[in-house]
Amino acid sequence: MKLAELQNDFQHALFDTECKGVDWISESARGLSARDRLDIYYNAYRIRLIDVLLDTFAHTAIYLGDDWFNQLAGDYVQTHPSIHKNIGLYGKDFPCFLAEQLPEDKEISELALMDWKLRRAFDGADSAVMIQDDLQQLASEGSSIYLQPVPTLTMCTQHFNTLDIWNAINQGQTPPVVEPLPEPIDILIWRKGYSPHFRSLARIESVAIACVCSGGALEAIGAVLEKDFPDVDVAIEFGVMLHRWLDEEIISI
Amino acid sequence: MTSGFGLGLRTQHYNDFLAEPQPVDWLEVISDNYMVEGGKPLVMLDKIRANYPMVMHGVSMSIGSINGLDKEYLRKLKILEQRVEPMWVSDHLCWSGVHGRNLHDLLPLPYTQEALAVVTRNVEQAQEVLQRPLVLENVSSYVEYEQSEMTEWEFLREVYKATGCRLLLDINNIYVSSFNHGFSPIKFIEGVPVESVTQFHLAGHLNNGDHLIDTHDHPVCDDVWDLYRHALLHFGYVPTMIERDDNIPSLPELIAELDVARAIANDVLNKKIAL
Repeated sequence: MKLAELQNDFQHALFDTECKGVDWISESARGLSARDRLDIYYNAYRIRLIDVLLDTFAHTAIYLGDDWFNQLAGDYVQTHPSIHKNIGLYGKDFPCFLAEQLPEDKEISELALMDWKLRRAFDGADSAVMIQDDLQQLASEGSSIYLQPVPTLTMCTQHFNTLDIWNAINQGQTPPVVEPLPEPIDILIWRKGYSPHFRSLARIESVAIACVCSGGALEAIGAVLEKDFPDVDVAIEFGVMLHRWLDEEIISI
Repeated sequence: MTSGFGLGLRTQHYNDFLAEPQPVDWLEVISDNYMVEGGKPLVMLDKIRANYPMVMHGVSMSIGSINGLDKEYLRKLKILEQRVEPMWVSDHLCWSGVHGRNLHDLLPLPYTQEALAVVTRNVEQAQEVLQRPLVLENVSSYVEYEQSEMTEWEFLREVYKATGCRLLLDINNIYVSSFNHGFSPIKFIEGVPVESVTQFHLAGHLNNGDHLIDTHDHPVCDDVWDLYRHALLHFGYVPTMIERDDNIPSLPELIAELDVARAIANDVLNKKIAL
């Protein structure tokens, strides 16, 4: 048996729906049978990946409870071979998987997506953050100002009171009963210092952040806000937002 | 004589290492944990590296994969190596997946001439990128293959001879595999060229009666300490560290266990000199 065939067969055996006997593992005179020996690797593969999911999606796991989470995580492992060298990236498609598996419980996939994005923000790329003096310097130069979000900044949209559920779990409290929101809200997620941060966004700020992320100049963003929110004093609102963004370290130099 | 005793750096002990000097000669970092874009892991790494020599230990190179090495992985490893400037860079003599899949495990190779050629090709590729000898660790294993043409220690010796790589002997892994497969751990140790060994690992395992599992969640057991004594007699002084990956105790507790290793090494090596 060539090495290529052996590695292919071994990998296939670990991905299989059950651990079956193979003829290329030596039967030993002592201890376990060949099948039981293969079973150690078969089980370790599943346990390791389920543990990673448990670690990455800690709030989701608490919300679901051990049995339900382990069942869903086990189904995910069985249907999603890892394609990542970095085992921490294994759960990338888990929120989508939950959305497909639990179409009547969309808050669960929203919770998982929030867990996932917060974890990714933790070790996302660094950048120098803009401070008030940097902005004033740019303004004094007289040319158009383009703001750049920090690399870890991302958003997700929630249709349920998922944020309240996440916060309750995070504080060790009983989560509230799930309820649909009157309108979807956007959640901003980024890293400040060493720690992932998040907060909900008002509609106008969500539009402004989306403009920043798409590379719009400051005056262009102002124009978009004036068009979309004619009843708002955009100059004041945008000024407050800018000040907050700098305080929260979501703009990079 | 007994300088060179290290511990694996774990997140639970970051604050201990930052707060005050610890009686540890060097630290081993899991390369994969720091092959990230930024954030706290790299900040902690840099701060602690400022005060401790380090070695890098990877778990995902898959040096025995028939498909060859992942170039992007090697590129990121090289970037980290340039950041850490470690004393050496190690990974495992195993394979971890093929055809773009990753099994996130240290799977044993068949000890054949064909596998030797594959490992040789891959080690040479890694060494070309790293511009230094790669250090390879023997893994604990639960299966042996019908195809194997030589023992594990003969295979290690051949890899060393073919590539000029160095070896990290995990004493616990030798013990676990010898128990699971019924070979002599002494023969293993005595079959490895003295000059090839750069580092020892010591760790604990789980005893399931008819087989052992390499869990790294227990203290080093007496049988492994005995095997460590034998390894010291055979190889002389080799930098040694204790690996703990689960059920991680306080740093003082781990340092106390490391002190046992220091005492054993002092005892064995002083007697060896006296002889």
